[in-house]
Amino acid sequence: MSNKKSVLSSRAKTMEFAKAWLIMLPSLVLMTFFVWEPLFESVRMSLFKTRNVELISFIGLDNYVSVMKKDDFLQALVNTFSYTFWSLLIGFLLPIVLAVLIGETRRWRGIFRTIAYLPNMLPGLAVVILWSNFFSGGKTGVLNILLSHLNIPPQTYLTRAEWVIPIIILVATWKGAGATALIYMASIAGISPELYEAATIDGANVWRRIIHIMIPAIKKLTGTLLILQIISVFQIMYEPMVLTKGGPDNASLSLMQLMWQYAFGGAMNYGKASAVAVIVTIILLLMTAVYSYFNRKESDWE
Amino acid sequence: MKKTQYTGVIREYDMHSVSVKVGYGFIIFLCILMAVIALFPLVWVILAGFKDLKEFMSSESLLPNSFDPAPFILTWEQLGIAKNYLNSLIAVVGSVICAIIFNGLLGYGLGILKPKGYGIVKKMVMLSLLLPTTISIVPLFMNIQNLNLGNSFVPLWLSYGANAMYVILFVQFFEALPHSIIEAGHIDGASQLQTFFHIVLPLSKPICSVIAIFAINATWSDFLLPYLVLRGASMQTVMVRLFVFSTEQTVNADAMMRSVVFSMIPPIILFFIFQKQLTENAVSVGIKG
Amino acid sequence: MNRLFKVVSLLLALCFVMTAITFAFAEDGVIDADLTCTITLGNWPPDTAADAEKALFEGYKATMAVQYPNVTLVPDYYSYTLSNYVPMAKGHTAPSIFQPPFTDPQLLISQGLVGDVTDALESFGVLEQFSPSYVEMLADENGRIYGLPRDGYVLGMHINIDLFREAGLMTEEGLPMYPKTLQELAEYGKIIKEKTGKAGLVFPASETYGGWLFTNIAWNFGCVGENALEYQDEDGRWVCNFTSDECIAAMEYMRDLRWKYDILNADATTTDWAGAHSILGTGEAAMNFAADDSVDQPTANKGLPVDSFALIPFPAGPEGRYALAGGTCYMFSPDITSDQAIALMAYLKVLGKLPFLDDQIISGMRADYAAKRDRGAPVLPAISAWTDAEYNAAKQAIIDEYCNVDMRLYNDFFDSISQGTITLKSEEPIFAQQLYRELTAVVQRMITREGADVEKALRKAEEAFQEYLDDEINDY
Repeated sequence: MSNKKSVLSSRAKTMEFAKAWLIMLPSLVLMTFFVWEPLFESVRMSLFKTRNVELISFIGLDNYVSVMKKDDFLQALVNTFSYTFWSLLIGFLLPIVLAVLIGETRRWRGIFRTIAYLPNMLPGLAVVILWSNFFSGGKTGVLNILLSHLNIPPQTYLTRAEWVIPIIILVATWKGAGATALIYMASIAGISPELYEAATIDGANVWRRIIHIMIPAIKKLTGTLLILQIISVFQIMYEPMVLTKGGPDNASLSLMQLMWQYAFGGAMNYGKASAVAVIVTIILLLMTAVYSYFNRKESDWE
Repeated sequence: MKKTQYTGVIREYDMHSVSVKVGYGFIIFLCILMAVIALFPLVWVILAGFKDLKEFMSSESLLPNSFDPAPFILTWEQLGIAKNYLNSLIAVVGSVICAIIFNGLLGYGLGILKPKGYGIVKKMVMLSLLLPTTISIVPLFMNIQNLNLGNSFVPLWLSYGANAMYVILFVQFFEALPHSIIEAGHIDGASQLQTFFHIVLPLSKPICSVIAIFAINATWSDFLLPYLVLRGASMQTVMVRLFVFSTEQTVNADAMMRSVVFSMIPPIILFFIFQKQLTENAVSVGIKG
Repeated sequence: MNRLFKVVSLLLALCFVMTAITFAFAEDGVIDADLTCTITLGNWPPDTAADAEKALFEGYKATMAVQYPNVTLVPDYYSYTLSNYVPMAKGHTAPSIFQPPFTDPQLLISQGLVGDVTDALESFGVLEQFSPSYVEMLADENGRIYGLPRDGYVLGMHINIDLFREAGLMTEEGLPMYPKTLQELAEYGKIIKEKTGKAGLVFPASETYGGWLFTNIAWNFGCVGENALEYQDEDGRWVCNFTSDECIAAMEYMRDLRWKYDILNADATTTDWAGAHSILGTGEAAMNFAADDSVDQPTANKGLPVDSFALIPFPAGPEGRYALAGGTCYMFSPDITSDQAIALMAYLKVLGKLPFLDDQIISGMRADYAAKRDRGAPVLPAISAWTDAEYNAAKQAIIDEYCNVDMRLYNDFFDSISQGTITLKSEEPIFAQQLYRELTAVVQRMITREGADVEKALRKAEEAFQEYLDDEINDY
């Protein structure tokens, strides 16, 4: 009797198992078609000599060697890390500061929150085109018009090697910081006010409450958002493409933009383009692995 | 929604201190500054739209000479933006439906059903979050062509049905659902699919609305794949049009600014309609779009 | 004004349709009713195009419908770039006809990405009338032809006369005193900058444009022959040479334009081709290196009246006077059938791009020039891509009728070509776009960093491009 039941339930279980996979099947087909197979295909392409998208012959790591020994790869690698550095410097702390500031307002908080989020809703391409006019040199650039009211002579911005990366990061930060700030705000709002009040009784002033209660509470979230930010800024591409076209003299060329140039910029070398993409992927995976290692216990990445 | 109560670190009793009061004033000042910086470029681009090419290239003033809306109307008509709006709408509607159904079903499988072997799929989905997608656009485009799906909205719609981030968001949400409700449905004899549509989805309005908003925004802003897939001008979306303008140099700088304005209007309207969901729900799922 | 414009263009379209219909009745008009196929036509005027231009193409379509009733024409707004073309050709979605620049045909042919139209041309009897240089450019090693020249251009300089006048640089006859040499260009530019506050020269130094213009300057500094920027050595290997004294001198000149004379526009490294035309056309710069085929850009498109515009020859350098000559061609999808190839040649014939003259083509040319004149673009002599003398003479006669400019502002440019006082030169023979990219980077460095080391930067670019040549052709 009990034996029969277990047979039945095991058959039912098999049915359940099959049905569950059946339910996921359409989505899995889509994931394969749109995400996994193309990624696999790029890895494969990176190991081949290519003519357009045809694979001519297997050449092992030759594409990688050829790509990596070129000056512009080194430049793009350095630039990409420079983007990351500036992004952390400008774009990492700002959302936290914004979150704290907006969280403290007693009036108009909803309005501030709304306005902070607004830029994130705008199409990225439109934002970049908009800002390219903001930073145009000469007397008619918007920033120069603003500066002229302070009696500062017109400057050039996007043509200065040392300024382009911070400027591009500023643009990206303008678009993204508010939305990130709102995530921090949600986390901060989850802190029970009683904790602050208890701390006050223990003699903690506002500063001490921020440092000893608020900051520890958002520490884990900070880690997650940090790695997400690095991943996204590491793939920066169309911002420099539209704003500076990678110039001047490759000063703002990013790795993904280099990949784009190999694929679509006249060289038509998808093998090398794929090699660059795989390199970027490996760097990202390494960084994520390092992050997970240090956050083993509380990692969101399993 | 719960009523938001004041949760700031500065408590009511702190406000008696002068230094805290000054500090609070400073906070308000900084917030206003933030609002100005966030809004100024939008105001400027609209002002710039009133200028003609000569004025746009030569004027050293932020204000246009006149506020005649004629240039906007002219650009709208000349470029036939209405058609692009319609195309964007078609792209958005299909994408949102695909995004919710396909990612939702996968999320349901990985978050609730969890059949044997689901862990590998979940890891693969997580991993694809990390990988740059741009390089795979060439092989992806080949795939689409091989199935003869070019020049159609179908591949665009379906591509939103395969979004790793949306899947993860669904999984996280489903895992937090009380199991007893789902079990109850199961005991009543509902099939897994029925459970999904009759029990899980109705419970998932918050996450669905968030995914919908993300998908609307993403579809509206997307231009790379649509540019390759929607080749005929009759199918171009607003952003594809803007991308074409910026790469093929067929449009003057002043008309470009007006096109930028046109591309921003729908997201802004959408934003003001759904701002509550966006600033509260979207944020509570913990990852930005 | 605008209404008038619409009326004119409507009338134009109507005329066209009427002509087409007249033909249909008068001579039956049908050339081949059996030819049945569908062709997609790239570069169809987009919605943004002038009404007159759109009407013109509708007219072509109507004519085709009469001559080849069973050929279906599908307008496509496709505009060629190498990057967007390749995936399309591979995915079998390329339009039947499209228009790449002369830098790309050999690459496309070698990669098997374009269709063969030799037999179709033969059936129209025009195979022999290609000028040989075009045959070389548009055919493979077996002499099979894959493209037709659309039009040619010669690089010169666009001038905003208003700024020259403001700077006092006018002759007694009221013509601009324009620079004959690169040295004068720098000096005049400086005067203009000082007198008007506007840039003397707009130099689009983004992406590949900077290098493209720089090669012409380099030629005039002597980077030709044994000092050529790229050449094939005795072993057949491609070699580049950016570090000759001549090339260094040319690059130093670029550097001086920014730091010694300071005549460049503010954002040169992000200025592109269209941006440069906007800057000249709206009076923000006085000179722009540009060709005769883009005279409608600063004028009709950016609003500069034709009276304020002049086209002058490319200024001479210390070692020579060259002008880059190039153009655009028609090429075809790799998937076209022989029927489609014939239909496409018929379409090009209707466009007047084959060396045929009949009433309809003449009226087509008239319509084209009238449209140009009506939208305020200069109507200028054309540099023909065909060797047929009769055809060329007849065409010139029509152009003269529609001429809307003071030819004194253009004569030096055209005379320098016809009298051979300037030497026409095609683009560097191989991987020109990549060469431009490398040189653009050097130009950018020169104009953004004061006191940048010219030789070092050129050496770096030379090494990078040599490596590219080795990878892509020498060791391929």
